[in-house]
Amino acid sequence: MSNQAAGLTKRNLSIAKAVALAVIGCVLLALPFIAQNRYQVHVINTAGIYILISLGLNIAMGYAGQFNLAMGALWGVGAYTAAILNTRFGIPFWLNLPAAMVAAGLMGAIVGLPSFKVRSHYLAIVTIGLGEVINIILVNEQRLTGGADGISRIRMPSFFGVPINTDERYYYLILVVVLLGFFVARQILKHRIGRSFRAIRDDYQAAKAMGVNTAYYQILAFVISAAYAGAAGALFAHLNTYISPDIFEFSSTLFIMTVTMVGGMGSLAGSIVGGLALPILQEYLRVIRNWQLVAYGVAIMVVVLFIPGGVMELMRRLRGSPMLRQFSAQRHAEERFEPEEPNVSGN
Amino acid sequence: MFLEIEGLSMQFGGLSAVKDVSIKIDEGEIHGLIGPNGSGKTTTFNVVSGYYKPSGGKITFERKNITGLPAYRITAAGFARTFQNLRLFKSMTVLENVLVGMGHHAKAGLWQQILNPIAVRREERAFVEKAMRLLDLLGIAKLAEYPATSLSYGHQRRVEIARALGTDPRILLLDEPAAGLNDIESVDLRETLVKIRESGVTIFLIEHDMKLVMGMCDIITVLDYGRKIAEGSCEHISNDPVVIEAYLGKEEQL
Amino acid sequence: MNIGIFLQTIIGGIGIGSLYALIALGYSMVYRSMGLVNFAQGSIYMVGTYFGIIWYAGMVMGLHVPYPVALLVGILLNAMLGVLLERIFRPLAKLDLMFMLLGTIGLGFVLDNLFVIIFGAEGFAVTSPLPNAPLVIFGIRILPQMLLLIGGSALLMLGLQVFLKRTRSGKAMRASAMDNEIASTMGIPVNRMNAMTLAIGSGLAAAAGILAAPIVYVNPAMGSAVGLKGFAAAILGGLGSIPGAIVGGLVFGVLEAVSAGYISSSYTRGIAFLVMVIVLMVKPSGIVGEVTVEKV
Repeated sequence: MSNQAAGLTKRNLSIAKAVALAVIGCVLLALPFIAQNRYQVHVINTAGIYILISLGLNIAMGYAGQFNLAMGALWGVGAYTAAILNTRFGIPFWLNLPAAMVAAGLMGAIVGLPSFKVRSHYLAIVTIGLGEVINIILVNEQRLTGGADGISRIRMPSFFGVPINTDERYYYLILVVVLLGFFVARQILKHRIGRSFRAIRDDYQAAKAMGVNTAYYQILAFVISAAYAGAAGALFAHLNTYISPDIFEFSSTLFIMTVTMVGGMGSLAGSIVGGLALPILQEYLRVIRNWQLVAYGVAIMVVVLFIPGGVMELMRRLRGSPMLRQFSAQRHAEERFEPEEPNVSGN
Repeated sequence: MFLEIEGLSMQFGGLSAVKDVSIKIDEGEIHGLIGPNGSGKTTTFNVVSGYYKPSGGKITFERKNITGLPAYRITAAGFARTFQNLRLFKSMTVLENVLVGMGHHAKAGLWQQILNPIAVRREERAFVEKAMRLLDLLGIAKLAEYPATSLSYGHQRRVEIARALGTDPRILLLDEPAAGLNDIESVDLRETLVKIRESGVTIFLIEHDMKLVMGMCDIITVLDYGRKIAEGSCEHISNDPVVIEAYLGKEEQL
Repeated sequence: MNIGIFLQTIIGGIGIGSLYALIALGYSMVYRSMGLVNFAQGSIYMVGTYFGIIWYAGMVMGLHVPYPVALLVGILLNAMLGVLLERIFRPLAKLDLMFMLLGTIGLGFVLDNLFVIIFGAEGFAVTSPLPNAPLVIFGIRILPQMLLLIGGSALLMLGLQVFLKRTRSGKAMRASAMDNEIASTMGIPVNRMNAMTLAIGSGLAAAAGILAAPIVYVNPAMGSAVGLKGFAAAILGGLGSIPGAIVGGLVFGVLEAVSAGYISSSYTRGIAFLVMVIVLMVKPSGIVGEVTVEKV
């Protein structure tokens, strides 16, 4: 291909990308108007909240390799913090959001402490256990959390006097927070912090040998993921105006894990894909609930066995670019294959 | 007095892997550690670099007592090491692997990374430059953007060394750097190691490849069954009957 | 403090602990032989319970099969399920932990919900084959069924030990578990050993469920809670260790019973988990000690 033609194709590609982005942008902005009814917008709002949690889980598990299986409980900590502050002390949403993030973040640090001493499946069960403890506290501390009845009459937020009291309006709030969350996540995962996370995930001992302060980064991963869950919790509480402890049980953690893995663990975009697809699917297949769950289980197994990188890996495979196997799903995989060497003249 | 290992012992349950080993390494030296298989070489390395807490003995580095410190602190004190079976970071490119080691010098914290991306990018650029220079020193600058594990074995070894150098060490511990290399690659390695020494890094290496060891080490320590049995220059060692006995006794070749 | 009540609580704890122990055995045995953490174990327990109880409770053509027969049938059917599952677990075992966990969880989902579809989400109570009146031994009241659960579990665990230590198949299984490669070079069919391990693990889970059924409420959701606790118990005792699973299960059960009886019934679950976390922080390999699985 002549240089000119090649240059044109490159330009075409970036024009195509720009156009695609613009289209997506317009769709996102106009979504509440495109949707057929309020219920659909509500489903999308819920999906947005799941995207946020999934982003957090992806950071901790996908990038830093830390098993944070208390995400559901941390989501609950965020939601309850917002709910209690709002219904007991009348504190508005805009302060509850950061408060929820801080509260969840602190809990996240506690959940993450065992990561210094225990590894992989032990860390998994420990975080599950701690998550259970948190849930039990939420159910039992009646005076604080309303016990099994939950907390109701949470007030929806208002923005400079404009009440955000419909699903449509709330949509924009969620959109902003999710976009922010996405870009902040991208920024955090760049450079030194992202590399240290991945080093810990790829080879813990080698990371230590290279001077990476593994304890610091492990806790950081937990705290960041917890903060995301906390933010999602505040959004959830103020959207639904009622929360109860059963929402945040271990099954919610499983759902978030599924969302993240099916979308693509180790890829932020995967969180968006999974976070959109699964909640929406779940809503619309609600009628055949139990068969849907069976299909769910089968889908999980298929992904795990054949496309561990989730939808994102599937897309990469279809496009033909070999995935920089961030996760080798194969244990102890020796990925040493010898492609042709590049032209290195002398040494 | 640069690195002094005194009376080092390491026991695993009932097994004594290293017994009362003392080694002194001067700054700027290339010091070799040899011995038949199972003589405790890698264990010594693992203790010195902080993987194991020694059962006995003392390690002093530049007057500081570093005995029993965790690996991360020992690296911070100026040690770097490579591994016998390569442990590169699988998900990263060659360049990224090298950059990992520089992290602990970074000034920009978490908040800065989110709120002040420009300063971070500037710092990052400096790191990348330094990393590229290291890759150049090792002769693999052109491979910077390749996934680290997609390279040939010899090249991956070099990435390991570059990565270790990225931590700005005063002393570099190399665990069998020539393993699996052919003759040409071994010669290249020797030249590279000399260059590294010239840049001011002391080298302490374990090796089986006698040609490499004899050709470049200033002092060689010989271990057998966890004990030190000889120490000295190359000529001295290659003529030492005790050493020859130890190797011949194990049917190895000198 | 009333000694009688205390002992009763302890016995109750041993009872439920025996249940956990049998389930934990499944986890540890499979982990040891295949390196796989089987998060579907809870669902297998549920399935096994149904496999046995339906014959006893008159759900199949109105038959009311005698309890011991139902027990046997349940164990056998579940063991067969275990053999089938080995084929699915084979590729799963090679995966990184995260994927392995999720894969087995997915399998559990499938089983749980299939049974909801077949039997409905409502559970049912099972009448005990033994008289309901509690026995009074040394002033302590014990339900006969509880005694059956404890006794039956003990027998099964004993049987397992005998099988593993004395029979050829048992020894082959242990060899295979210790080192897959060496075992196969000695002519031991590793896959078949794994299938047997899964069969035993599933059979034990079925026995646990059927023995406990008259005490516990039977429904398709019974697996998930017990599954999690069984795993925690296995880890508490030391994953991969058979005595560890038994110790872990019993300790977990007793902890639950004691905290339910004396501290606060609502915090019961939490306390057992909390203790597990604390034990792991102090001794990461569990009470008896983990059997590490090197799969390189």
